[in-house]
Amino acid sequence: MLEVQEVDKQFRSGDTILKALNKANMSLKTGAFVAIVGKSGSGKTTLLTLLGGLERPTSGAILLDGEDITKLSDHHLTAYRRRKIGFIFQHYNLIPNLSALENVMLPMEFAGVPAKKRRARAVHLLNQVGLEGDKQQRRPGRLSGGEQQRVSIARALANRPGLILADEPTGNLDSQTSKIIVKLLQELARSEETTIIVVTHDLNLTEHTDQTFRLQDGQLTTHTGGTKALLSEDTSA
Amino acid sequence: MVTRGLKNVGRSPLRTVAITAILAVSIGLALVMLLSYQTIQAKIESVKSEAGSTLTVRPAGANGFEGGGEPLTDSQLADLKSLPHVSALSETLNDRLTVGTDTSLASAIDPGTLGNRQIRFNQNRFGGDGGGASGQARASQPRTLTIPIMITGVSDTISLTTAGANMTAGSLFDPTADVPEAVLGSTLASKNSLQPGSTFTAYSTTFTVKGIVDTGNTFGSSGLYIPIKTLQRLSDQAGDVSEGTVTADSLDNLSSLETVVKAKLGDKADVVSSADQTTQILQPLQNIKTISLYSLIGSLVAGAFITLLIMMMIVRERRREIGVLKAIGASTSGVVGQFMAEALALAILGALVGTVLGVALSNPVLSALVKSGTATATPAAVGAAGRGGQFFARVGQLGGISTTLQNIHATVSPVLIADGLLAAILIAVLGSAVPAWLIAQVKPAEAMRGE
Repeated sequence: MLEVQEVDKQFRSGDTILKALNKANMSLKTGAFVAIVGKSGSGKTTLLTLLGGLERPTSGAILLDGEDITKLSDHHLTAYRRRKIGFIFQHYNLIPNLSALENVMLPMEFAGVPAKKRRARAVHLLNQVGLEGDKQQRRPGRLSGGEQQRVSIARALANRPGLILADEPTGNLDSQTSKIIVKLLQELARSEETTIIVVTHDLNLTEHTDQTFRLQDGQLTTHTGGTKALLSEDTSA
Repeated sequence: MVTRGLKNVGRSPLRTVAITAILAVSIGLALVMLLSYQTIQAKIESVKSEAGSTLTVRPAGANGFEGGGEPLTDSQLADLKSLPHVSALSETLNDRLTVGTDTSLASAIDPGTLGNRQIRFNQNRFGGDGGGASGQARASQPRTLTIPIMITGVSDTISLTTAGANMTAGSLFDPTADVPEAVLGSTLASKNSLQPGSTFTAYSTTFTVKGIVDTGNTFGSSGLYIPIKTLQRLSDQAGDVSEGTVTADSLDNLSSLETVVKAKLGDKADVVSSADQTTQILQPLQNIKTISLYSLIGSLVAGAFITLLIMMMIVRERRREIGVLKAIGASTSGVVGQFMAEALALAILGALVGTVLGVALSNPVLSALVKSGTATATPAAVGAAGRGGQFFARVGQLGGISTTLQNIHATVSPVLIADGLLAAILIAVLGSAVPAWLIAQVKPAEAMRGE
């Protein structure tokens, strides 16, 4: 269960204070596949960094399974990210000199999982996301964008997190690959019983999500009108 | 963590080669300087111990046959023996035997330009023979162009068998006795075809040759040595002493003993410490040692600074990667550890190549340093220390030291290799300190930054 309560995030730019998030509220059940849509600069990525414990909100509370992460120390916040959060980035952000397998093993190494176990789980996860055989031994530079994103997804799942945060996961992929990746995320939310929040420009992605939120000028609102309405709102906006 | 750090070393082979080469030069230079420092330090200690902890006491204003004043006496020197920290006392008395008048021996040294100059000088001074110096009586002797023979009375024979002097035949006399026995310098013995058991005349007395000594230098080997009491009696210098040598029980006490001896003898004697002479001779080596030390520190600082710049560059380049590692659960200390492992691996690579460089270059560099540092300074220093020295052993000793100053060889030991690795670790740790701080400042949110 994830709850976002009255979260504000402000940035100082010279003498000006910018409000990236304004009294944001959200409540999600475990295993939900959720999209947050909005234009560039609407605060989508800011919300993601707050949910992932990468930054702290100016005010408000973020509760994951009843634990308010805004009150955690830096040390505990690191442990929180390690145990409970998985990240999927638009640019994949894989470590270039590690193989696909080693990239997936990395979060488990940080969590102290024994080498044998983490290798076995990494192989299992890569198989699960459809990256099999010798591709698992390849470095990211020798994989396609779609394959790199699969590795990124497998890495996000490594420590069985309760929440996966995906920042524009299809932003760098062609439409065919994007569909495959979205389908994969949807299935994983079900099979792994993990909440997946996708921040995206891609309004077509919302067809597959359980819930969609819209962020506009720092205001987070629930969208209930379906993809067509969203598309028409987006066009008229 | 360590494995990832090591893997990162191979991430950019060209850069790794460049960094290794730069660090190798830095560490290699540091090793060369460390080796030079250690070798020169060892040489200085060895020369100091060779030179011994002695004080040379001469009549004030006199040095051998130069200068003037009153001779020292047995009783004056005997008082010194009871001083604290005096372990030994030896006395010498010098005289010159005029060839054909004072002795049956022939001089082993040809006058040459220097001898003739001295004879002319003495003729101008005394208006007579420049060769003799035993008194007014000899001033009216016919002019001879021969160098007088140096005769030295000694109170112990230790110096006849040490400091480069070797008995080549026969044995020593009893230096405490008053007997007509002598040890001849090898050149003098050869000139006069004398062997142990042969006899010759001096001061109208028949002496028996007890032994032959090779002093290692022509001047010393052209003289002869007899018991001091015999010389005092035969040369009408009863109780007189030309030079005394006071040996301290340790080098540490030499300075304080020098002060006490000077106070005891007052203005009657000139007191010169062997430490002062050695210090003068060793000054060029001390200078090289200082240069080596500064160069060693400079090389280490340069190595650390290079590592610092390289690691700062790497950290800046991988800022986003550091953010990603932190975002997916790596602790700051873990990431710092990874980068330190990388810096250490680079430094060790540099140390390995640098050690090979250091081993190969240590002796040529040391040799060049010593040659350039001692080429002009040593002869002057030795000249000053040995000028007018009448007792061959000291001349030979200091001369021997001077000739071995340039003969320095560095030996590479496993300790040096360990020092090289230690230097690499030191460089890596120092060079990683600021980058580590930079890593700590990178926020995990960097991972979300666009390209």
